[in-house]
Amino acid sequence: MKAKKPVLELRRVTKSYPGALALDAVNFTVWESEIVGLIGENGAGKSTLMKILIGLIQPDAGQYELRGNPVTLRDPANAARHGVGMVFQEGSLVPNLSIMENLFLSHEIGFRRFGFLSRRAMRETATSVLSLVKVTSDLDTPIADTTPAVRQMVEIARLMWLSRLYRQENPVLILDEPTTVLTEGERKTLFTILTEIKRQASIILISHRLQEIVGNSDRIVILKDGRNVTEFEAEHANIAEIENRMVGHTFAAERYRENEQIEPMNEIALEVRNLSKRGVFEPITFSLRKGEIVSLVGLVGSGKEAVCGCITGLEKPDSGTISLHRKKLALGSPSETVRAGIGHIPIDRRSEGLALGMTVADNVNLLVLDKLKAAGLINPPLEKKNALRMIEECRIKTPSFSAICANLSGGNQQKTVIAKWLSSKIQLLVLDHPTRGVDVGAKEEIYRLIRNLARDGISMIIMCDTLEEDIGLCNRMLVMKDGRLVSEMSCSLARKPNPSDIIALIV
Amino acid sequence: MAEIKEEEGPSITEKRITTHRKRERIPAIYFAITLLVVMVVLFTIGNRNFLSAYNVNTITSYSAILLVVGLGQMSTILIGGIDLSVGGLMSFVSVVLVIALKTIGAWAFPLCLSVGLMAGYINGTILTRIKIPSFIATLGTGGILTSLALLVSPLPVVVPASSYGLLDIVNGTLIGMPNLLLLTLVIFIFFYVILGFTTAGRNIYYTGSNIKMSWMSGIDIRRTRNFAFMLSGLGAAIAAMMQTCSQFGGDPTMGKVYILQSIAAVVVGGTALTGGTGGAVNTLIGALILGVMENGMNVVGVDAYFQQSILGIVIIVSVALTFDRSKTAMIK
Ligand SMILES: Nc1ncnc2c1ncn2[C@@H]1O[C@H](COP(=O)(O)OP(=O)(O)OP(=O)(O)O)[C@@H](O)[C@H]1O
Ligand SMILES: [Mg+2]
Repeated sequence: MKAKKPVLELRRVTKSYPGALALDAVNFTVWESEIVGLIGENGAGKSTLMKILIGLIQPDAGQYELRGNPVTLRDPANAARHGVGMVFQEGSLVPNLSIMENLFLSHEIGFRRFGFLSRRAMRETATSVLSLVKVTSDLDTPIADTTPAVRQMVEIARLMWLSRLYRQENPVLILDEPTTVLTEGERKTLFTILTEIKRQASIILISHRLQEIVGNSDRIVILKDGRNVTEFEAEHANIAEIENRMVGHTFAAERYRENEQIEPMNEIALEVRNLSKRGVFEPITFSLRKGEIVSLVGLVGSGKEAVCGCITGLEKPDSGTISLHRKKLALGSPSETVRAGIGHIPIDRRSEGLALGMTVADNVNLLVLDKLKAAGLINPPLEKKNALRMIEECRIKTPSFSAICANLSGGNQQKTVIAKWLSSKIQLLVLDHPTRGVDVGAKEEIYRLIRNLARDGISMIIMCDTLEEDIGLCNRMLVMKDGRLVSEMSCSLARKPNPSDIIALIV
Repeated sequence: MAEIKEEEGPSITEKRITTHRKRERIPAIYFAITLLVVMVVLFTIGNRNFLSAYNVNTITSYSAILLVVGLGQMSTILIGGIDLSVGGLMSFVSVVLVIALKTIGAWAFPLCLSVGLMAGYINGTILTRIKIPSFIATLGTGGILTSLALLVSPLPVVVPASSYGLLDIVNGTLIGMPNLLLLTLVIFIFFYVILGFTTAGRNIYYTGSNIKMSWMSGIDIRRTRNFAFMLSGLGAAIAAMMQTCSQFGGDPTMGKVYILQSIAAVVVGGTALTGGTGGAVNTLIGALILGVMENGMNVVGVDAYFQQSILGIVIIVSVALTFDRSKTAMIK
């Protein structure tokens, strides 16, 4: 490592936003052929730092050097010419263009033959570039029809190709929370590819899954509140220690707050009878007691998402009934299910959970506007009061209750979605990967909220990021496979099952 | 590798952070207000009489009617749509009012209001049932209404002198204020309250900001959409009634100019075409800007051929400032 040269160096970079100092004199170096893991709490400034690296935003102060030369990058296209590129947390491909068109978008110049674009040359290059990231899909598939994993790979391939086009040795590839949208298998593939790419490039990896950071990076950099905390070689890393440095306090061994797990009440809350959807899942019957947490596990395609979709009214089942506290629900209509008291924390908060252009208060109050009225009209002081209460309760890090949601960090956006449902009177909450993209501290917060909800008698159906999380949180587990309920097991405090037993049932 | 020590404290002062706040939050309306002030100053320099009582009255009357259509138009733009049928509807209502005043007297007014609401409801329903973009659907209904206006229009379309008394609802004055302006004020407050302080109004914003999230959160999209288009129908109908009364006669082509003018008033005021942001105050400023511009350019003698392009530039700049590019994958 000593022989290696730094490719990229940031010195004392500062960036402030109205009401938030996102970066405060941060130093950051990337060496040749390494994977740097960049970690920190939600809102620590990771994405902001990366946006500065690719010229998307300009720092208020600080120096930026690439391969030993001071640079000022005007925009991402300019950064690409310098061999620095980023795969965004939210993706940046054009949905209605094909894989190949996206790959070369706005840099097609290289394929011009006598004034026309040579499709053949493009195809050849596309195939060879994509083989690097092991994508074998048809080049003409529109991006909208591909999986998130393929999209990500196309973005990576595009960045590698651009650096070759502009003859940049050892490009820097930035991946902002790439694994949040991937399945277990896809994650493995991603890391195999990254290790391969590492030979000719440097990679900056941002993730809230510390396990994968420790397992795949060479060096780890920690940010906290927009400042450098520490950095060290990944070999000597210890997760508990890292968490401690990230958040500033240690975490209990009882990670999922198992000690706060309660026995559900006897009263039945949700009853699902012979619910089915042709070609997706077969008739399924189960019930939830008041205050019970039931985890639904299974592979993608096992039908668990569709079952939840039917319960939340997003999908219409072919047959069967769903009742909540003995009242039958109208099926296939979210406005009916929400009115009946069923909440839903969706997996994709940006497109399904939030009005990004509106304020935190607007988002938090969405479901309870009718309760924030005085003399028949929505009352701004009451709105403010409720928003502040929820911001406090869910510990949302925001400059003010009237900050625009799009400007919050990813994890705080997630807390805003949760706050929205918590402020309304719900009886059942479906949580679709609630801790995705959320830092350890915030995860703990979410677990705390889940336990509080259970104590208040609210039933929950959860689908988690990891089996450990499912097991740790739930009272009971339903295992689905190929559209059928194959097993049901208790996860009471005394008898938490082993992850490996469950894996055997799932696959 | 050696640990990097913590660097000294924050290097940006509190003060600088707070001065940015307001500007980042509502830049569009600040732009609009500045534009309005600059124009008033320029036109006054260009012609002393610009601020004469007579001319101010001309501007406010024009802006008032534009504001009323604009407020309705804004409701549909806030939800992420657009209403191109306001023109046809205004023409139709204008003719209906004249005919109805002759036959049913004062009942003509509520009749016209219901025509407006009904047209809005039909627009909303077409969108929901046939699932086509609002600019196409309303282009269609607008065309139908324009034809209807021409078909049923009597010649001449004048209000008989015997009914002039009824027109005082618009043409009269109350404690020295013209009724036209008082009515406009009432309608402005109505829209301001409905959009900002009722659940139905807020749902328009939520739907415009993120329709999928709104649907998943239990907002009745169909009802919200109908509501927005009914507000637009209501605004257009009232505007047509105001114009008809103040001219003592209808006009089966009255609405034509208001289609683009109403959209311009909304976007120049800073309401985003992409939906979800903006409001009644924005449209008030927008309507004033357009009123001042139309009148001012004539008063200071800007070439008539040139006027349209200045208006065009103002619109493009306003939309450029408010358009939420993250919502549109590609510019078509
Ligand atoms: N455009 C913006 N306007 C105002 N504040 C912003 C803006 N972008 C970021 N911030 C603020 O800067 C801080 C750092 O945000 P950033 O997105 O870099 O966090 P992050 O470390 O990537 O967090 P996460 O892990 O949640 O994605 C946050 O407090 C955020 O609210
Ligand atoms: Mg981030």
